Amino acid sequence: MAKVDTAFIKPFVDGTKETLKTLCNYTAVPGKPFLKKGNPPIDIDIAGVIGLTSSAFSGSITISFPEKVFLKIMSKMLGEEYTQITKEIEDGAAELMNIIFGHAKRVLNTNGYQIEKAIPTIARGKSLQLISLTKAEIVILPFEIEAGAFYIEVAIDETKK
Amino acid sequence: MFDLNTKILIVDDMMTMRKLVTKSCKEIGFKDFIEAADGALAWEALNNATPPVGIIISDWNMPNCSGIDLLKRVRGDARYKKLPFLLVTAEAEKHQVLEAVGAGVSEYVIKPFTKESLEAKLQSAHKKFSTG
Repeated sequence: MAKVDTAFIKPFVDGTKETLKTLCNYTAVPGKPFLKKGNPPIDIDIAGVIGLTSSAFSGSITISFPEKVFLKIMSKMLGEEYTQITKEIEDGAAELMNIIFGHAKRVLNTNGYQIEKAIPTIARGKSLQLISLTKAEIVILPFEIEAGAFYIEVAIDETKK
Repeated sequence: MFDLNTKILIVDDMMTMRKLVTKSCKEIGFKDFIEAADGALAWEALNNATPPVGIIISDWNMPNCSGIDLLKRVRGDARYKKLPFLLVTAEAEKHQVLEAVGAGVSEYVIKPFTKESLEAKLQSAHKKFSTG
């Protein structure tokens, strides 16, 4: 049911494309998903994380950005030029994840996934490494926009009973 | 449409969303804003605002006091029975929409939104406010 397959991933891809188009007029081009092994595929400086819970599984979804890409997105979204990540804009990573999650949750719950509501958090630091405690495989969904590359990580643990 | 001098109370725990809603409202032409980071702070701001708040635009999903809790509190007070109240959320599942309608929401805004879609929701809320 909660397998990280195309049906599970597609709403996150669609949500990402729609969110960036609507808020920043960026066309996000998705790359080929792959399994995470070791270090992140690109250096990241800020991430928005949201826990996934349902009666059948648990996991997390994370959106991760290099500083340069995040600043371009926030500048476009808020109509002001940002040159560094400050307290004023850092929660933008969590909000973007929240909006993408909201889109995906709507679609997935229509298909019976019963994903519950969750509040997102942020992680920030130079060349950030996020270590997932889940034993499950983590799928990376890479995206490219005019400002550069970013990615979404999907981790699902189906062992929950 | 609302008088563009109407004071708008913008409620969201995320600073970037408060900035985004403010930016969209400024583009529409509004000038007077106050902000709150959750429903409890919003209630305090609502009761102390001078001139009084004429529109509330609130996020749904917030810690402490959520947007739906704030809506229920607002509608439970005779002074604010007809105060235009827009709920903003990334999650628009049927049961949530029904809960918001049952609690007396004026309009429901789904994230991500554009200035145009927010303006359309404000116009619709104004129509209800004027005829209600």
